[in-house]
Amino acid sequence: MLRARTFAATAMLSFLMAACGHHVGPRPGQLSLGMVTDVGGLGDRSFNDSAYRGLLRARDQLGAYVEVLQSRSAADYQPNIEALTNQRVDMTFAIGFLMSTDLDQIARNHPDRHYAIIDAVVDDPNVVSVTFREQDGSFLAGALAAMMSTTKHIAFLGGEDVPLLRKFEAGYTAGAHEVDPSVTVDVKYVGSFDDVAAGQELGNVLYNGGADIIFAAAGTAGLGAINAAKSRSGAYVIGVDSDQDALAPGKILTSMVKHVDVAVFDVARGMQQHRPIAGHLTLGLSDDAIGLTNFTFTRTAIGAARLRRLSAIRRAIIAGKIVPPDTREALAAWKPVAL
Amino acid sequence: MTLALLVTLLTLTVLKATPIIFAALGGTISERSGVVNIGLEGMMAAGAFGAVYATSATGNPVVGVIAGILAGAFFGFVLGVAATRLKVDQIVAGTGINLLCIGGAAYALVVLFHQQGSSPQVASLGTADVWLIVLAFALAIALHAFLWLTPWGLRLRAIGENPRAVLAAGIDPLRVRMLAVTISGALAGLGGAFLSVGELNIYSDGMTAGRGFIALAAVIFGRWTPLGATLAALCFGFFEALQFILQGRVAWLPSDAMQALPYVAAVIALAGATGRVRAPESDGVPF
Repeated sequence: MLRARTFAATAMLSFLMAACGHHVGPRPGQLSLGMVTDVGGLGDRSFNDSAYRGLLRARDQLGAYVEVLQSRSAADYQPNIEALTNQRVDMTFAIGFLMSTDLDQIARNHPDRHYAIIDAVVDDPNVVSVTFREQDGSFLAGALAAMMSTTKHIAFLGGEDVPLLRKFEAGYTAGAHEVDPSVTVDVKYVGSFDDVAAGQELGNVLYNGGADIIFAAAGTAGLGAINAAKSRSGAYVIGVDSDQDALAPGKILTSMVKHVDVAVFDVARGMQQHRPIAGHLTLGLSDDAIGLTNFTFTRTAIGAARLRRLSAIRRAIIAGKIVPPDTREALAAWKPVAL
Repeated sequence: MTLALLVTLLTLTVLKATPIIFAALGGTISERSGVVNIGLEGMMAAGAFGAVYATSATGNPVVGVIAGILAGAFFGFVLGVAATRLKVDQIVAGTGINLLCIGGAAYALVVLFHQQGSSPQVASLGTADVWLIVLAFALAIALHAFLWLTPWGLRLRAIGENPRAVLAAGIDPLRVRMLAVTISGALAGLGGAFLSVGELNIYSDGMTAGRGFIALAAVIFGRWTPLGATLAALCFGFFEALQFILQGRVAWLPSDAMQALPYVAAVIALAGATGRVRAPESDGVPF
């Protein structure tokens, strides 16, 4: 079971190689990029898919050779990163904070190789760390949810209860309280990013508990919460990472989009121009790396007045007038700001 | 606790328990015949995927459920051949089946649906999934009656204890084991189908999320009896439902600790039951 994903990918690759007899591997001088997904894997319609889009853009626009290794469990991270290192790709992208310890170790052992990690800071000279101000986008999602809730009761459903997800949770809760301090925000965690059934069950528990809008920041498990919203009238769900709005048109209020693709592409371009971006990159609303979708299916339901208020809040965050909290401690100390 | 919460708790308990009951019934019948089926998790995944594929092809989730049963039965049969005719170590063969099914489903998603990670949404049984829940409990009673009240039930149990004696009585133990493991796979497949087209409408990688292994624990906790295994599955479902509801309500208890609740309960129950449980004599021993 451990290597199932890698096994499947390898099986598929060898099949493809046998089928078309293509030369696989970078041409001399071609930029080569490797990517290791986290356990959510490709097809999560969310975080990993977004990173993959960035990689494909690098392939199409920069002419890069790309290779993806998927991780079925945490035990796959290290061998996957090692495998790409040994293939001597120019840069290996580790998609997800779960890989930080493994990446740190490998990067130290291979000081001549280049690495990038998303969602975590790894302090090595050959690693580019990219983190996002998820709390800013989540703040907007919370503000919108509070404006739209008819029950004055909304909810947050996270994948795993880890510091990264608490940035979403804290920002969302604060955003709701910015609009209306009396709004109740229920918080639950699935305990997994891929148990879709549990995501649906918890979605139902939250809706039955009185919440009418759920922000589902739970990877593939979040698809379960979207499912739970579909069968209810008056219920909304907020998607995450990728634009999920079309998965249930009209039921997904918006998605809190994290443009991992932008980050991956920018880092790849830097690599190609032989000036690898070093150190720590923090991307937020002003970089258009974080934000809400453009409400394709819900614009009328939301209405112009609410959208105006939302963009006023967005401007206040960019201007630094509102500083969304990124931990539970910061949330406890946070006070709504008069605009 | 309000009435509404109690209703949520009980429905969620049954919902969480149902796929585990199916798989645990499969595990019980297999182990009673003397074959440890550690491949339940993989057979559930095969059933879940088979159900989604057949549903997407025909548009009918009932056909999907049948396909899920057949997919599970097929891998049960494979384990049966390995465990009886080929005399492969059952744990190794079962683990192989887990790898094959879960990896195979990930691969089949790409080949058949041209997308990775999860399938497109398909038709679902919707509220008709309640009939599968009823079926789970009916099967538990029927299987219990079969094992303890019928001559064939006695023979199957005897094969799990002492296959040599049954051979002397003129019955081929290998044939019976083969049949039992195939049925075991069918039941696990049904559990997977309940998840993918009963409760949900999608297959996604890793969606069985260890339920097959929980079922394996339920077999032992239920002392290798269908009704015991059902009770064990319900117990697990109850604690899982409880943690879903309590999460975020008890401020001093972090959600991680809450999520461990069902597993802690299972360990305590198993520890409390040791000394009194006894596996079938020839369980896991090739004949």
